[in-house]
Formats: sequence, structure tokens, C-alpha cells
Amino acid sequence: MTDKTEKAPEVVGFACSYCTFKASEMAGSLRMKYPEKVRVIQVPCSSRVDPAFVIKAIFEGADGVFVSGCHPGDCHFIRGNYFTRRKMAALKEMFKAFSMEGKVKLFWISAAEARKFIEKITNFYNELREEKNAGKKN
Amino acid sequence: MQGKRIDNEKIKAALNRFLEKQNHIALGFGKNSIFITHKIYRDHVDDLFLFNPYFSINGATFFYRVFGKDIKALMLLRPCEIRAMVELIKLNQIDPETAIMVSVDCPGAISLKKANADMPHDFFEIKQALDKNNRELRWACRFCREKRAVVGDAGIRIAEDRSMWIFPYSDKGNEFLGLIDEETIEFTGKFILSEGVKTEPFTTDMATFNSDFSKCILCKNCRDMCPVCYCVDCLFAGDEYLPKGDALINKMLRTGTEIFPYGKEIFHMIRMYHVSQTCVGCGACEEACPQEIPLTKYFKGISERLQNLFSYMSGRDIKEVIPYLTIKEDELNDAED
Amino acid sequence: MRAGIFICHCGHNIKHTVDVRYLSEYFKKIPGVVVSIDYAFVCSEPGQDIIKESIENQKLDRVVIASCTPSLHGDLFRDLLKKSGTNPFYLKRVSIREHCSWVGDDIEANTEKAKRLILSGLYAASHYIPLEEKMVEVNKSALVIGGGVSGLSAALFLARMGIKVYLIEREKELGGHVRLLNKVWPSMRNGKEIIRELIDEIERLDNVEIYTDTIITNFEGFFGNYQVTINNNGQERKFIVGGVVVATGFTPFDPSIKPELHYKKDKRIVTTLDLEKGIEYLELPKKPRVAILHCIGSRDETIGRSYCSRICCINSLKTAEEIKQRYPDSFVESFYMDVRAHPRGGEEYFESLQEKGVLFTRGNVAEIIPTDKNIIIRGEDTLLGEVYEKEFDLVVLSIGMSTAFDSRALGQLLKISLDKDGFFLEAHIKLRPFDTAVKGIFIAGSCSGPKDTEESINHGRASALKLFGMLNLGYAFVEPFISYVDPKRCSGCRQCEEACIAKAIKFDEKLRVVKVEEAACMGCGLCNATCPSSAISLKGYFDSFIADEISGLLEIA
Repeated sequence: MTDKTEKAPEVVGFACSYCTFKASEMAGSLRMKYPEKVRVIQVPCSSRVDPAFVIKAIFEGADGVFVSGCHPGDCHFIRGNYFTRRKMAALKEMFKAFSMEGKVKLFWISAAEARKFIEKITNFYNELREEKNAGKKN
Repeated sequence: MQGKRIDNEKIKAALNRFLEKQNHIALGFGKNSIFITHKIYRDHVDDLFLFNPYFSINGATFFYRVFGKDIKALMLLRPCEIRAMVELIKLNQIDPETAIMVSVDCPGAISLKKANADMPHDFFEIKQALDKNNRELRWACRFCREKRAVVGDAGIRIAEDRSMWIFPYSDKGNEFLGLIDEETIEFTGKFILSEGVKTEPFTTDMATFNSDFSKCILCKNCRDMCPVCYCVDCLFAGDEYLPKGDALINKMLRTGTEIFPYGKEIFHMIRMYHVSQTCVGCGACEEACPQEIPLTKYFKGISERLQNLFSYMSGRDIKEVIPYLTIKEDELNDAED
Repeated sequence: MRAGIFICHCGHNIKHTVDVRYLSEYFKKIPGVVVSIDYAFVCSEPGQDIIKESIENQKLDRVVIASCTPSLHGDLFRDLLKKSGTNPFYLKRVSIREHCSWVGDDIEANTEKAKRLILSGLYAASHYIPLEEKMVEVNKSALVIGGGVSGLSAALFLARMGIKVYLIEREKELGGHVRLLNKVWPSMRNGKEIIRELIDEIERLDNVEIYTDTIITNFEGFFGNYQVTINNNGQERKFIVGGVVVATGFTPFDPSIKPELHYKKDKRIVTTLDLEKGIEYLELPKKPRVAILHCIGSRDETIGRSYCSRICCINSLKTAEEIKQRYPDSFVESFYMDVRAHPRGGEEYFESLQEKGVLFTRGNVAEIIPTDKNIIIRGEDTLLGEVYEKEFDLVVLSIGMSTAFDSRALGQLLKISLDKDGFFLEAHIKLRPFDTAVKGIFIAGSCSGPKDTEESINHGRASALKLFGMLNLGYAFVEPFISYVDPKRCSGCRQCEEACIAKAIKFDEKLRVVKVEEAACMGCGLCNATCPSSAISLKGYFDSFIADEISGLLEIA
């Protein structure tokens, strides 16, 4: 299926314990498949994600980083993800200024949305893979 | 607009009146042996320069954790310095009662690094000198967002007819105006300085960044001289982001990194994010850089871009909350990817 | 660091796509790793024994267990560490089943992924510090919010077990919606009687305080020690409770939201709830023609209520029966989408009514046209594929349940979340259906989704039982994952204080640093991410842990 000479992107994700991490567990339980290069770090709330972590991950070799939390209004910590939204919006704007938009993503994935989790991260992975292997063909 | 028409002598007289009280100090521009620079006045003002043609450090730097009881510090500084001061008040580093901030219209400045002693010190003369030889004007000043003295507790503004005025913006400002021996009258004229230049959103790419920062030696002077980098202990003192010693050796062995000093991008990017909402674009970092890296371009560019996201402007108003500390439920609805 | 790595095969679950043998050999070579073992079932008794022995014999101070997801067996392994004499927070769980072996097919890639996951877990664990689980006393008292049938059942159970109960009710009278019911299916007893019985029993006990006409104005604290402030008819009262049962019930769907139903504009259009007052007042003719419309306010995407209200089918049947009893010559027709007579005996009841001559037509009513003489309804019979147009004297709307109007506000006050429909969300739909995500707060009755009377009583009792189990112990452990401040590094900028959602951070004017009120801290870590120098850290999720976890994931192997 995959071309062996192709470079596979590394994706690091931050998932909140109450929503996205639960969704990722459910995705596992349902034996849904997603690329092995996508790896998730559990945080109590998406608001724990210091944008510094994202910057660190990007400059230590990750091709893409996603931060994922509960839908706005559904945060277990009441408003945590609204703060995440502000911070990540700013961080994404910063990466955009460095012509690296698309390397950082923000998702809202509730505990029940295992399918959405798979879709989002697979799309993200494929985008990064295309970018990484752009111009390599022929 | 209600204000007082003043001149250099009247300001001096008011300052002297202010300094009569105990525990009152003033910070403005005076002359050392050669150059005009920041000067602290404790009980008497003799040589006062409202305009400083050189930029060395931001006057707000070092005003961290100022909590002296009953101390009043009057500052006659550039708008960028006052804006940094406002941000520091928001960050609880200076007691708002302590600082009386008077901004002064800024004609722009040249870097002290490239200074020659024959720069004039009158507003119009400085402006003329800088206009004539545009090359000398600092990058930060050329793209300054707010040269007008419209921030702080009061502002000293220059009118088109070359008259000088002071306008109060707060109660503290009114208090200071009370020390000036002049009637408050209505100002109907026009100011010489208009709104700052609107620039396109800053855009660059990693290749440019890498070539610009290739000279970086990670001395962290930019951080030390940044007026809004107020932390007691910097995040980069630990091993998490800039490993040292064993942690660094481990990192090299584990990741096979070949870059040394390690972590330039991480340091600058994280710092850029940290000051993104508070950066006033004064360019003090660039003045401090021994390698002459065009830091202002990045820090000012990114911070303006990120502040625009929340319609925020650092140092504009003491009542504005730093965007990362507050939220609205209905905003940024397109933030999800 | 003396770390032990235990890799679980989980029978075939992990082993079949991850080369566990290779991994356990690989980690033996990593500096600091003393033990590296793979085993068929680490969670089994022999597996636990291996861990225990290793900890004791090899003096392990870090234990990395690579197995299923951390939310499973979390307490089990923590207890195991405690029993083995180490701090339970030296444990790092790495999920290589849900996040690795089950989601990928390629053995090589999976093994590589598992390797990195375990490595990053090991790096993170190397920074771990011992944490203390604080033991707190638990107040043997409970707050029951809502005096409906579910809340009453919960309060009665708790009170009988000797728990001090504070029962609060927003309305002036206890009893909720059951009080309004003339006959409660299937016993056909009067709702008021059922409620009266419960209240009588409660009133006989002296450890229940009942407050009607009361709302909660403030709610703080943690399990075992919740401080509640109520407003009882204008008077403020405060008390401390150990736990809470939320039984706020529902609001009947108001059909006037849909103007096309003409509800409240025409006297001949009534709801099933209106009919509980009796049929007589309607002044129907001797041989009335009655239409019963199912699914009003249920399974309706257009008004955001896609759920089934579960009670209204039985209500419709009950209404049909009542009309048939009162007017034997009446013509009763039910318009339905599906008849979901799911409770025990419901299906038989449905059949008995068909036998009694009630006509059931599949197909929702599209149009209601009131005329002077009668009401014309139009729609499509989806079984016959024909359009019908019929005349009736009375239209009964079988209304569903909406969420209680103040459930969102209450949810925010108690910090419990709502599901997409606005009902309170359970911690786990199958395994923990009575719990909320907040420790010590349980949900009962239809505030967590539509339920009939029987289910509500059961739900109330079950929640009360679960709460009783927790309260009766008399003590509880508080999760140590809260923020703490390093006063030497704090710049006193108060950014964390400004951002803190729980308002658990206070500024010390004297020392000019912030401090955390441990009991109030929720443990989200927002302060940690806000502080530019990370002088305030969330225990268990320090910057160094996560930063090294990132490093571990991205290292070249």
C-alpha cells in the first residue's frame, strides 16, 4: 500500500482526558485503524497544553501537532477549552506568519466521536504526507 | 480637547514642584558626558530633555516588582516606553498608584550603537535630521505603531504650529497637570504626528528565519533587555526547552542533533509567543543583540499580527485585559480545523 | 532511577501486532531500566505478583506498565504499588493496546510505535515525584436536588440508611410531575397517592430537612465536603454535605413552540398532560372523534430534539383507553411513527387497545386545520402510501420531555456536563450510568434522559445506594493532581489568578506571590499553561513530564 521510499510524517497529538482521549480509547476498542505515526499525549484538559509544547514538538522533529479538546461549552473544567481556543488561534496565526500553516491543528472531538477522531487525524496525516513528499514523484 | 500649553521650562518647574515631596522621584531624559540618556531625578531637575534622539534601552526595563509604599515615580518617556509600563502594570509588576506616566510625542530615534554626538535634541531638529538621512532611523521607529503621546496618564504633544501641549488622560494625569502653572484651555489646532504606519501582516518563512538567526549565539540578551520579559526565573533556565549539561548530552545522543548551541528556534519561537500580546515593538531586543539579528522585524511583526487577532493593542489602555487571560464564548468559531 | 518496565501481552490482544519479546529485550539496554519483562496478563494475580516481587527485590522506584488504556485498572495498579511499598504516583501507564495494537495492522510499525510510547513514558516517569493522596473526612450527609419521584426515592433511601439528607425543591410542593398524574400506568394508581406515601415515610424520619420553594445559589468544595448555599423563599441558608444526588427532572414539552400545532389557540387541541385533569371539562359530544398525535417534541430534528422521550407512547395508549372507557362509542385514532411500548407489559397493553377498537395509523400529521365545526388533519399514511384527511372533535398531543429549563445553569454551578440534548451526562453510559464526572455527584431520574416513573424510582434508589457506599466509608482520598506554586520562581504577575476558572488561586499581598487553594483547584492545568515561567505547575503533569514525553515520541530510535 505505502511506498517504502516515501517519507512518513510524524504527528504528535495532545488529547484531553475527558473527551478526545476517551474518543481515542473508543477508536481503539472499535479496532478502527489510523497511521502508526500518529501518537497521542494525554493531558487533563486541552487548556493544559502550553503552546510551548507545540513549538517544542515542531522543532524537535514533528511534522504536525494537533491539540484536541471537548467541544466549546462542554469542557469538564467549564471554560478551559475556550482558553485553548484563544491560545491555539494565536499560535496558528504565528505559524501562518512563518508559512507553516497546516502544521498545527485544533480539533474539537467529544468522547463519543471516535469516528471523527479517526477522520480528523487521518486527514491531517495525509495532508502532511503529501506535503512532505511533494515534488518527490518522478 | 482640554489641555495646557507648555514649554520646557514650565515642565521643569512642575517637576521641581513634584520632587519637593518626599519619596517622589522622576525619570526622564538627561545628559551623561556625551549622549542624552535616561536619567533619574531625585530632588531637583536641571537639565531635562523631553526628546531623545538615541534609543538604548526601554525605560520600562527593570521596573519589575516595584511595590514601594507611598513612592511616586513620574516618568517622562517615549510612547513605546510608557506602553511597556502599562503592560507591566497589567502584569502587576508596578503598583498603579506608584507610576505617573507621561508620554511624549516621539520624533523617532537612531540606535545608540550607531550614534554620533552631534545629534540635535529639539523635536523638529531631530525629525529633520532623521527625515534627511532616512537610513539612520531605527527599523522599529520607522514602522512604529504609535509615535503619538496618547498613552499613559498624560501626554505631551506637539502641534503643527510648533507649540507644545500637555493633555491629561486619567486622574493621576490631572494631578500632575495641577502642578503646571497654566490655565487649562481648549486645543483646536492640529498635531504634527499622525497615526502610525499601517503595515501588511508580517509574513516570512523558515528559510529566512534560519538565515537571519544563524548568527544567534543564544546569549539571551534580547530576553534580558525586553521590557515585558518580567519573569523572576525564565522558563529557559530549566532543562525542558534548552537542555544543558547531561540533559544536553542526552539530547545529542538521543536525537543526533548537530546544531550547537541547541534550541535557537525553540527559544525565539517560545519567547515570541510569550511576549506576543505584550510586546510594544520598541526594538530594545535588537539594540541588545550583539550579533545584530533583525529581531524587531520578527517580534514586532508577530506580536502585531497576534494582537490584531483579538483587536488588542499592548499598552493602549490599562483597563484592557491581556487576551490570553480572558475569553468570549462566541468568538473564533472557525478556530477548529 | 531504577525503573521497571512491564509489557502486557493482553493474551493475544497486544501480542498479535506488537513484538513484545523484542521490546522487553530492547528496554533492558536502556540506562536506568532495571527490570524489563513481558507477560501474558499483567493485571492477573500472577502478573501482579511479578510486579510486586520486582519492586521489592529490585527496589524499583519507577514502574512503567505498558498495557491497556490508563483509565482501565488504574486503581488496581496504584494499589499494587502502594502494597509493594512505593509511592503509587511513581506509576506510569502506557497504552499500547487501545492506542497501538488495536489501531494498526503492521507489526513492524506497531512495534516501533509501542517502543516510542514506552520510551516517552519512561522519560516522563523519570521526572516523577512522589505525590500524596490526602485523606479527607467525609460528611455523612447528602443533598438531594429535586423533590420529584426520583429525588424522593433517593432521599428516602439515604435517610433510612442513617444519612442526614437535605431535600430541596424549586416548586412550592414536593412531588414533581407525578403529582399531576391522575393514573400512573401500569398500576393505574393516582400519582398524588404515590407521592403522598413517599412523603409520609420521609416525614416520619427525623434526619431529613425539606426545603421547598428553594434554589441553590452557590456550590463549592469537593467530595465529602461540599458547601451548599441555598435560597429558601428569600432566606439564605448554608450547609455542608458529603455528596449530591441531582434529580431535577424534566420540563414537559411546550407544543406552542411549533405554531402549526395550534396549541393554546384552540381549546380542542390539548396535551396528554392537560388530560390528566380529566376529560369532562372538554364538553365532548356523545360520540367523539379523537385523534392522538405521537412524538410531539420527540424525534424531531427541526426543534433540536432528536431523542425519543420514551414515556409518550404509553401515555398515548393510556389516553386512548381512558377516552374509550368514558365514551364507549367514540372513535379514537392514533397517528404514530413507531409505537415504542417498551416497558414490561407495554406490548400487551398496546395489543389490548387495538382489540378495543383504537385505530393506529402510521404516519405523522402534516397539517392541522381547525374549523368552526371540527378539526381537520392531513398527513400521509406511510404504510399504505396514501394521503389522508380526517375530521376530529379533539386532538390530543402526546408530548415528550424537554430538559429542565435551568439544567444548564445548575450544571455550571455543580460543574457537571450536559449531553448534546441538554440532559446531564453520565460518567460512562454502561459502566457508570449513575455517576457524573464529578466525584460524589450522582444523577437520578429524567434529568439524565427521559424515564418513566418506575425507572425514575429505580434510578433514584440506585444513585442513592452508590452515594451511600461512598459516604458510609467516612473518609475519601483526594486526587493529588492539583496545582502548586514554586514561590521562588513566581513573579507575582497574577496572570494565573486572572485566568483560573475555579478561582482557586489567591494572591498573597505580603509575599507577592500566588498560592493555590487546594480544595478548590479542579486540576485542569490552565494556570500552568498560562504562566510564562511555569512557576505554577500541575502535579502529575509538570512541564518536564510532558516536554520529555514529546522528546521520547520524536527521538530517532
